[in-house]
Amino acid sequence: MKEKLFIILSLIALTSFCDTVSQLFLKSTIDSLNFTPAFNVVKIFKFIFRLIITPRLWLGLIFSVISLCIWLVVLSKADLNFAFSADSMHYIFIALASWLILKERFTPLRWLGTGLIVTGIVLVSLN
Amino acid sequence: MFKKKVTFKILLLLIASDILETAVHFFFKKSVLAQVNLSVFDLASAGFFLKAVFVSPFLWMGLFTVVVIFIIWSTVLTKIDLSVAVPIASFSYILVPMVSIIFLHEQIRALRWLGTLFILAGVIFVSLSSKERIIQAK
Repeated sequence: MKEKLFIILSLIALTSFCDTVSQLFLKSTIDSLNFTPAFNVVKIFKFIFRLIITPRLWLGLIFSVISLCIWLVVLSKADLNFAFSADSMHYIFIALASWLILKERFTPLRWLGTGLIVTGIVLVSLN
Repeated sequence: MFKKKVTFKILLLLIASDILETAVHFFFKKSVLAQVNLSVFDLASAGFFLKAVFVSPFLWMGLFTVVVIFIIWSTVLTKIDLSVAVPIASFSYILVPMVSIIFLHEQIRALRWLGTLFILAGVIFVSLSSKERIIQAK
């Protein structure tokens, strides 16, 4: 039972990690294009064209698909309510990534929120 | 400049996204439940399992709903800040366990509900902190 929980949590960590990597690629794709919202059909098509020829977009999408596949395997092994709560782990990965890679500064409120999420995941897993 | 005013229309869109988000996870779980006879223990069995799941109509209903949610969020975020939108949209953390009990007959003990509330509070604090940072930067 303990071993099964460990495998499921590892898989959820893996899907959250892939999701985070995907988000980072998508964020860097959008940032590199300097997009300003405009309701001009030609501009929107130009933007979409530049978007689909950016390799980072496709890397992001590949990681999304990997994340989905692992998520489906998780759902085959765990209750939905547990898996969904534990999947909030991606908040922790995104926090770590924005702190370490994007060098964002954290406010105390953000540390508190991230800490509450960690506590929540531990409580949810205790059953 | 903050876009904080939650109009009735935005509130409806956010509630819709809560419900649709819950539906996505219900659909995904349903698509997997149809394959109880295929258990995953290595990469080869994972391949068989995913092949079976990817032809399930439930999976594609889930993916279609993901696209609808994406469109809703793209609209909502042009009208309102993320720090305001996310807490309102976080009620799927309550809705998913409710759907799990009612439609999937899962059992949830008190400790797990407590954990869920911690996560919900955490998500709300994290999203509020994005506003706090903008205020500090001013």
